[in-house]
Amino acid sequence: MALSDRQPALLAGVRACLPLAPGVLLFGMVCGAAAAGVGLTPGQSFALSWLVFAGSSQIVATQLFAAGAPGWVIVLTGWVVNLRFMMYSATLAQQFRNESRLARWLAGYLLTDQAFAVTLARALDGRRDIPWFFLGIAATLWLLWQIASLAGIYLGALVPPRWSIDFVVALTFIGVLAPLLRDRALAAAAVAGGLTSVLLVLPLKLNLMAAALIGAGVGIGMERLWPKSQSGA
Amino acid sequence: MAEIAIWGVIAGLGLATFATRLSFLALLGEAELPRWLKQILHYVPPAILAAIVAPQLLAGAPGLAATLDGPRTLAALAGFAVAHFTRSTFASIAAGMAVLWGLTLIQW
Repeated sequence: MALSDRQPALLAGVRACLPLAPGVLLFGMVCGAAAAGVGLTPGQSFALSWLVFAGSSQIVATQLFAAGAPGWVIVLTGWVVNLRFMMYSATLAQQFRNESRLARWLAGYLLTDQAFAVTLARALDGRRDIPWFFLGIAATLWLLWQIASLAGIYLGALVPPRWSIDFVVALTFIGVLAPLLRDRALAAAAVAGGLTSVLLVLPLKLNLMAAALIGAGVGIGMERLWPKSQSGA
Repeated sequence: MAEIAIWGVIAGLGLATFATRLSFLALLGEAELPRWLKQILHYVPPAILAAIVAPQLLAGAPGLAATLDGPRTLAALAGFAVAHFTRSTFASIAAGMAVLWGLTLIQW
């Protein structure tokens, strides 16, 4: 991208964060508070926030730490939760072909669901300023996330338990899940994943891993059985 | 878990996540995802999101004898309905928490 086009694209990305900010701040605070709440030190809790920087896998790791799961299970399960980033990376790579290595590595570090979704919508509109727009929105979301995490880590303990603020985590996932269920096969994958994690008790807290694999298997099976039910992919 | 082991887990998950994010960006977009991997990646998110949520709606531990927690299940259904129609995570959180607090207040 030409140097003169970069700044407006970057700023447009920063502005595009505004509607996402309340949800990101709330989820970030809850993730920070959850990590500190299960006994991780502030340093470890904040490391989850900037080293992993992915709310759902941070929550999964936090829950598995609390449940006493072995380290390799925590890494493996958290990684499976984040496998979707590979899809985003493949799509985004087309747009970053002509950018420097630094820009591509930075884009990789900052890649999140929200930044990707908003940028993809803009790319589908035919805009040409995608790389720097993405860096603008992704870096701003990163900053909001770190601030929210720190607030959650240090202030989370002040929220009374009877407010059931932990349930915000479940609702956040529900909020992400509901729009994903665009066809029968995707819904079947979700139902299979949910039932597996509720009914199946595996040693070493491997339930989530099993739920992901069984859910994906059921989804692919449904797609084969009723190919017409597929609208996404 | 020992202090050093916790750091190892956080760093390990951080590196694995970064490698996943960087994968195709580092390859300059020359490579393509194989079809079978694309299919699996398509279905893992709904499966794992539902798997994370479901145990939080239970009154006790998971297992064949698991029972649902009333207020949390109703709050989750409200959140799901709002998310389905508005596509807003924030609205879904607000609706779900309102239902949960309401039911807790009347000691349902």
